Amino acid sequence: MAADAGAPVGIRLEGVSAQFRHRVKGLVYAARDVTLAIAPGELLTLLGPSGCGKTTTLRMIAGFQEPSAGRILIGERDVTRVMASDRDIGFVFQSYALFPHLSIFENVAYGLRVRKEAAAGIARRVGAVLDLVGLAGYERQLPSQLSGGEQQRVALARAIVIRPRVLLFDEPLSNLDAKLRVQMRSEIRELQKRLGITAVYVTHDQEEAMAISDRIAVMSRGEIVQLGDAETLYRRPASTFVAEFIGRSNLLAATVESVAPGAVGVSVAGARLLLEAPGDGLGQGMAVRLVVRPEAVTLAAERPGALAATVRGRTYLGEKVEYELETAGGRLQAVIFDPPEGGTFPPGCRVAVQLPTRGLQILPETAS
Amino acid sequence: MNDTLATGAIRRIAAVLALSVAGAAAADAQTLNAYSIWPENWARPMLQEFEAASGIKVNFLRFSSGEALARVIAEKNNPRVDVLFGGPVETFAAGVKEGVFEPYKPPSFAALPARFREANGQWVAIADDPLVFMTNAKFLKEHGLKAPASWDDLLNPAYRNMLQMADARTSGTAVTRIFSVMEVNGRDEEKGFAYMKKLRQNVQLYTKSGGGGTLPVGLGQAAGGIFFIVDALDTKAKGYDVEISFPREGIGTAAEGIALLKGAKNPDAGRKLIDWATSPAMQSLFAKHKINFVPAHPDVKTEPSLAAVLKDAKIFPIDDAYAQDNRKKFVARWIAEVLP
Amino acid sequence: MPAAARRTVRDPALAIAAAVVAALLAFFVLYPLVALLARVFLADGQLGIGLLLEVLGQPGHRAAFANSLLLATLVGVTGTALGFLFAFTAARAGLTVAWARFLDVATLLPLISPPFTTSISLIFSFGPRGLITHDLLGLKGVTIYGLSGTLAAETLTYFPIAYLTLRPVLSAMGNTLDEMAMSLGGSRRHLFRTVTLPLAVPGLANAFLLLFAASLADFATPLILAGNRFPVLPTEAYLQITGLFDLQGGAVLSFALLVPAVAVFLLQRYWVGRRQYVTVTGKAGPEGTAKGVSPAARAVLVALCLLVAAFILYLYALLIWASVVAAFGANHAFTLDHYRVIFTEGRKAIGDTLVIALLGMPLGGLYGVLVGYIVARGRFAGRQLLELAAMINYALPGTIVGIAYLIAFNDPPVALTGTALIIVACYVFRYSPTGIRATIAQLHQIDRSLEEASESLGAKGGTTFRRIVMPLILPAFFAGLGVVFIRSMTAISATIFLVSIDWTLITVRILENMTELALGPAAAFSVFVIVVVMVVTGLVNALLRRLRAGQEMPVAGMGGG
Ligand SMILES: Nc1ncnc2c1ncn2[C@@H]1O[C@H](COP(=O)(O)OP(=O)(O)OP(=O)(O)O)[C@@H](O)[C@H]1O
Ligand SMILES: [Mg+2]
Repeated sequence: MAADAGAPVGIRLEGVSAQFRHRVKGLVYAARDVTLAIAPGELLTLLGPSGCGKTTTLRMIAGFQEPSAGRILIGERDVTRVMASDRDIGFVFQSYALFPHLSIFENVAYGLRVRKEAAAGIARRVGAVLDLVGLAGYERQLPSQLSGGEQQRVALARAIVIRPRVLLFDEPLSNLDAKLRVQMRSEIRELQKRLGITAVYVTHDQEEAMAISDRIAVMSRGEIVQLGDAETLYRRPASTFVAEFIGRSNLLAATVESVAPGAVGVSVAGARLLLEAPGDGLGQGMAVRLVVRPEAVTLAAERPGALAATVRGRTYLGEKVEYELETAGGRLQAVIFDPPEGGTFPPGCRVAVQLPTRGLQILPETAS
Repeated sequence: MNDTLATGAIRRIAAVLALSVAGAAAADAQTLNAYSIWPENWARPMLQEFEAASGIKVNFLRFSSGEALARVIAEKNNPRVDVLFGGPVETFAAGVKEGVFEPYKPPSFAALPARFREANGQWVAIADDPLVFMTNAKFLKEHGLKAPASWDDLLNPAYRNMLQMADARTSGTAVTRIFSVMEVNGRDEEKGFAYMKKLRQNVQLYTKSGGGGTLPVGLGQAAGGIFFIVDALDTKAKGYDVEISFPREGIGTAAEGIALLKGAKNPDAGRKLIDWATSPAMQSLFAKHKINFVPAHPDVKTEPSLAAVLKDAKIFPIDDAYAQDNRKKFVARWIAEVLP
Repeated sequence: MPAAARRTVRDPALAIAAAVVAALLAFFVLYPLVALLARVFLADGQLGIGLLLEVLGQPGHRAAFANSLLLATLVGVTGTALGFLFAFTAARAGLTVAWARFLDVATLLPLISPPFTTSISLIFSFGPRGLITHDLLGLKGVTIYGLSGTLAAETLTYFPIAYLTLRPVLSAMGNTLDEMAMSLGGSRRHLFRTVTLPLAVPGLANAFLLLFAASLADFATPLILAGNRFPVLPTEAYLQITGLFDLQGGAVLSFALLVPAVAVFLLQRYWVGRRQYVTVTGKAGPEGTAKGVSPAARAVLVALCLLVAAFILYLYALLIWASVVAAFGANHAFTLDHYRVIFTEGRKAIGDTLVIALLGMPLGGLYGVLVGYIVARGRFAGRQLLELAAMINYALPGTIVGIAYLIAFNDPPVALTGTALIIVACYVFRYSPTGIRATIAQLHQIDRSLEEASESLGAKGGTTFRRIVMPLILPAFFAGLGVVFIRSMTAISATIFLVSIDWTLITVRILENMTELALGPAAAFSVFVIVVVMVVTGLVNALLRRLRAGQEMPVAGMGGG
């Protein structure tokens, strides 16, 4: 099928906003001035906490909702005022939205029937796509007779059988159990790449986002706060919000002591560190936050001059140990992989915390 | 449900869907539309006889005289029927005032006595129908009463709340009754209304149509009332044990009329019906269908058993001009003073 | 100021449908009403209340107004009480399935009967020579005409509405609540007073208002039973128009009816509607066990209900009997002659009524789902107004609607009187709200994403409605269509003004038969209507059960003839 799907197209959002009338607050933004360019064939994920405007943005791309400002382009075509039925999209809903009164075959065939395709062609294409999602033989079943995972595949099959130029997913896996979720997300990813369809994927699960996406747009309060691939977001969060939302992180309060090209000196709870960092926009005496991933922390026996901490909790998990530590600068999480036998620190024990000097993200206190 | 009903229904649905109903009936010269004031069980056999005799199909709808008149007036600008059939002539007289009729003098016109025709042919009578007292025989026996033989007999407290008669708002029977009361009271309005107010004490119900009370009287739900003789004899014929009597002071009779409507869509067919209904051809069929009207045409003999009932009765016609002048006023006064 | 985001990019299909419905409502609901008001308030081109004062100044009319309100209040109280008795018994007395079914049938009958049926049987039973008062009890000189007779007949006719409204409320409140209260140490009586009753109050208020409205609108019962000393507005308005040809006077009298009717409608919608603790689903089996009542109380409750139910069935048995004897009360020889008469002489009425009902059925069903869909899914200003307009003809007594139609459609440019269209339109716009409400309720349970999915797959609004929405709201469609059919077979109050030489109705024939003392045919017609309606109700319910388990036609929303 990929052969005749046509060349993939890009999607552009230019200053797109959506406003709703709130009973108490008046007009509120569900999406605000969203500008975004999605490359042809790319899978971009909108990630963010509940209520941040992911669904609203996606629905505006689909045409279920009209933006209050801005333009939306699919390919070179301005679709801002085009009805969903004319946008050539496939949409996979969180609730699957299978037509309960139609058989699986008819559900999948629906888009083709609406397009008045010939019966033979429909049968062939529905058969092929059901094969593709591993549901051959389920044609005569009704949606209610299928498991959640199977229904999800039908929803997917129904969306792709019409060879849309754009595939849109709104939390398609949130109703599945953890294991199936992992399996399905790689299937979706594989299929999307194979068909070469540009896709926008909405989720609030950062792991799912990282696993499936080419790029991720992190949203907060209706705005895109950072856009990048998974590693950039993890390694270089642009704000404490992103740092906390993507993976686990410790945000240690620190003060800048010295700024030199490629080296920044900070003090953290009385201990001094010299970090390899660009130091742009930092100045002496500035309050900052250090983004420290738990797995970047190492522990050693207590010694003077080092950042001292007390072990408050210890969870032994076989391949790793998780520590809950208390420092003068606040609580700190640490994860030690492959701990040596008998080499863990019991609760109450005083330890020295060692932070890496490379790759730590320094965020000004204001960048929240 | 039989086949013809089903196919007929389908045909009508098709007709409505084709939006051709309105035009269809009017266009067909061989049909005729009428409002009948005669109840269906008399109007139907008569009109069927006419259909058989003339080949003209008659559609008719039955209304009480007041309702029929109201409709005819309402539809004055666009009459939906061609003929007003049956009903006391005082109803027709009211219609003349409203200018709803098209004068027509059928062949029998000259042969009819003056009170059976409007001078210009606005209406013509087809029968005569005297009022009677009808009482439930069992009730009389239980109360040791004789059948009422005077208007004052009806004021007997034994009848309290047990009489039924027609409502003047809808029924010509009631209007004929009111004029009868006026006549026996020497057209003294005050005396007449005083009597009616006294009679009101004994009235259980004023019914919408003239014959509405006959069944309750037959059943004994009511003790008696004032009805047209056709209705009374019909009740008796059905097997109800009722007595028919006449007041010695006399009682009114109302001619039953027919008239062509102004602007009728099928005037020729309408005239044919009037020709037929005013002729001996129709009126000699009363007996055959057990309809106890007194024929209006002098050439038709009253059926012997009906004649026997009427033998010693004192019956007077309601004066046409008097009725025409006073109808509205009396009805209004009756509503205001007697009814409540 | 930026406009708030519209939910959907404009779909012309929905907009066109909304415009069409709005136009229809304007033409068949608002225009007649305005024409009626113009008759009442416009005299020689002058706006004024002179005519109103003149007509209502007449003592007879003032009495009719007071009588109407009195009757409606009493029917509301007695009907609600009787309905509560039935509902309480059905929900709490642990009836066996067979007995519960018996109660259901007995209460369904009055709802689907043509008018007059209860009245005819009551006259036979309670008049001076009534089977019960005279033959059984030996009473003399009893009159049935007047307030008491009318009240009895209307209570028996309309209490099933209260029963159907209250039963789900009482059932849904459930035994858990009771058990909880009992375990807290309350006595049974205390329980009834402190738990059952307060929770049922909004339901009771709702039932009362429904019955009040039904009685206010009832035309047929008072016409037969009210007599002359207890005139009420609907019959007075009718007599004013048909008897005295005083259209204006009739308009004024019906306007007097409009004020309390609108008040009740608004109360029910905006006050009671928001205080219902339990949503009325229309279906609740006899699931209760006898927890809330002592065995003695239970015996009394059941006995009372069975007595009333048996009495209702007796009234219908009487009707059937009257239809198969030569002359009721005089000659009780068995005959099928009356049935022969209705199928020969009455053929036109039967044919016309069936044609009108069969035409109205699909139109009413479609109109119902269309309006329901627009109201539930549309996102334009004035949507609420549209719904309100769609409810008007339903809330108003039929007499008003009939007179308004007569005034509005009698003369060119829109001379529709005399056509089938006007009768069909009257029924469709008057009896579709059941379908509308059912559609709205059903759409609230259908996720909007189904429609969006269809859209995303390339379907336009019309296709989505036809292929996705319509199949899913079929139960509402059939419920709406069934109600329109039943009402087309049984209603009279509005359409008595609209019958014509070309189009007449069985119910009007029944009335004529009754006034023509042709009681046998009247009874036979009634039996025929009841049978047809029962068959259709049965079919629709069977269909509904197949479409969606456990759903039934909401006959409770059908008050008023
Ligand atoms: N139709 C609407 N009317 C009013 N407010 C709305 C509407 N739709 C969304 N909102 C508001 O807009 C904001 C964003 O909603 P949106 O559904 O886009 O969130 P989301 O990011 O998808 O959240 P979730 O992860 O919970 O699905 C929310 O505050 C929501 O309350
Ligand atoms: Mg969402």
